[in-house]
Amino acid sequence: MKAHTPTNLPLWETKGLLRHTPPESVPLTFRLSSLGARMGAQSLDVLFTYGGVFALILGLVWLGVFSWNGLITFYALITFFMRIPYYILSELVWNGRTLGKRVVGVRVISLDGRRLTPHQIVARNLMKEVEVFLPLSTLLGAAEMTWWLALILLTWMGGTLLVPVFSKLNQRLGDMVAGTVVVNTPKPQLLPDLSAQMATRGYEFRAEHLGVYGRFELQTLETILRDPPRNPEMRKRISEVAQTIHRRISYDEEVQASREWDFLLEFYRQQREFLESRTLFGDTRENKFHAVEAKPTKG
Amino acid sequence: MTAAPSLDQIRSARFRAEREPGWKRLDALVLRSENNGLRSLGYDEAQELASLYRQAMNALSVARAISMDKALLTYLDALCARAYLVVYAPQESLHGLFTRLISHGIPQAARRSGPALLIGFVAMLLGMFLGAVLYDLDKSWFYTFVPGSLADGRTPEASANYLRSTLFDGGPGSHDDLGSFATFLFSHNTQVAILTFALGIFVTLPSFVLTFYNGLILGTFWKVFAEKGLGYEVTGWLSIHGVTEMAAFCIACAGGAQLGLAVLLPGQLSRREALRQRGRDAVKLMILAGLMLVCAAILEGFFRQTVQSTEARLAIGWGIGLGWVLWLGLSGRETQT
Repeated sequence: MKAHTPTNLPLWETKGLLRHTPPESVPLTFRLSSLGARMGAQSLDVLFTYGGVFALILGLVWLGVFSWNGLITFYALITFFMRIPYYILSELVWNGRTLGKRVVGVRVISLDGRRLTPHQIVARNLMKEVEVFLPLSTLLGAAEMTWWLALILLTWMGGTLLVPVFSKLNQRLGDMVAGTVVVNTPKPQLLPDLSAQMATRGYEFRAEHLGVYGRFELQTLETILRDPPRNPEMRKRISEVAQTIHRRISYDEEVQASREWDFLLEFYRQQREFLESRTLFGDTRENKFHAVEAKPTKG
Repeated sequence: MTAAPSLDQIRSARFRAEREPGWKRLDALVLRSENNGLRSLGYDEAQELASLYRQAMNALSVARAISMDKALLTYLDALCARAYLVVYAPQESLHGLFTRLISHGIPQAARRSGPALLIGFVAMLLGMFLGAVLYDLDKSWFYTFVPGSLADGRTPEASANYLRSTLFDGGPGSHDDLGSFATFLFSHNTQVAILTFALGIFVTLPSFVLTFYNGLILGTFWKVFAEKGLGYEVTGWLSIHGVTEMAAFCIACAGGAQLGLAVLLPGQLSRREALRQRGRDAVKLMILAGLMLVCAAILEGFFRQTVQSTEARLAIGWGIGLGWVLWLGLSGRETQT
């Protein structure tokens, strides 16, 4: 069972998962957010803050509330606050979600699974200065640099930006200092139970038919059945699946083309019932190689 | 696509059908407390949330053992993870945070960071000393160290009278826009301090260099005036805000040094763990530097222009400096024993 995570995901799907065991000792899985999503959230935040400041200043000039001097004061303050303080405040107020993060659907959580402390939020956002704003402003001012200085800065900043790529939990430097990690906001979406769906009965599978496949094939079939065919091409693929299963389990009765969907539904239902009851008896079949695997492990 | 309860459902489907209403209710409660905070739930609802959460966890555990319905497993996993965050990781209360930070957090952190503070202040002092000495050897160093915008005519060639006038006649900001001058100083200086701090993670070196460079400018600048016999006056002019401001830069550098030292000398810990531990004090040092910079900006923006006697400037500057030392040295001691 080591090869499977608590969600029963096979090993190749476990990359980018963070396991946490709460006090109830039922392990939970969080999906680390992809670097693209984080980059997107960051870009959105930059867009919001700079755009907001721009709009605000324009509005104030148009309204003429402040004197010229007051406007400059205000500008100095607001450009300061839209950098680090904005991120700190928004993550404090929305519990680890800035506006950009909310839109993209990611959030910051503490690695120890407890609440995010203000210290962690301040720490991870202070480091943003070198990881986001310094590269940004250097890019804008790069034209005036000599080429060797630009090259050195480029490699250095490239290195900094690559830290999350190579870090195991996709942590950037600020995350490491703070002990935080960015995960996708879990989205619970309950799909209907396929086994409860009405299908025209008429297929009866016996133990020798159901003994071929294992959990992996069952869940792959489930994925296929979640997506009813809408065009001839998809129908053709469904038909292929049905015929392959039909051949593989050496089912004796012929399956007509019009009833292939029902055949699969019914097979799914009975296969699942069979596998689940085998599991209850201690015979867990991970995939169709269960019969082969059983022998060497015995010895 | 209709569910058929009359059908003889398989065991795991029955399991799911029995519990589904509870999960839906939990989902709704979680969503509400995520959007409006836990406080928006009533007493009964909060209790219900806790009990539904445990039931969902229990269901997840059972489902992993008996069900092969992938949809159910991923749903429960996501639901439980989301509910877990609401139950165990709600928003931290910010009540009393600032007072705690002022009375205990920052002073204790500062007292724990001796070596790092030493690095910060040594960088600054070394820069000042070297700046003054180099300028003494060759005046052209001034143009190397001090950017033109900062010099503002106060170059080695300027007359003593002109230099004296910059010290006592309002300086760069005239009296009516002191507020905007102070604001500008604050936001600019804090930006520099944050940069100094954050760069420290690259084994302290960039922080050290930045602070050292600040010291160089200061030393050179001081020497320009001292040469013309204005040493006493310029010390007062710089002291009134500089004691606080330069100390703030040194402290930001010390915060950076904490990070750098964690990377450089992690000791028995892994680097990541060392960073995490030292980061606690480092961040507090940075907050301290920010506070001091607010103070310094007010001093520089308002008082430097309005207080014109050198004695008063010296007294205010170093008096406030002493105040910082006393606060950091004495506050929050009782809990340590």
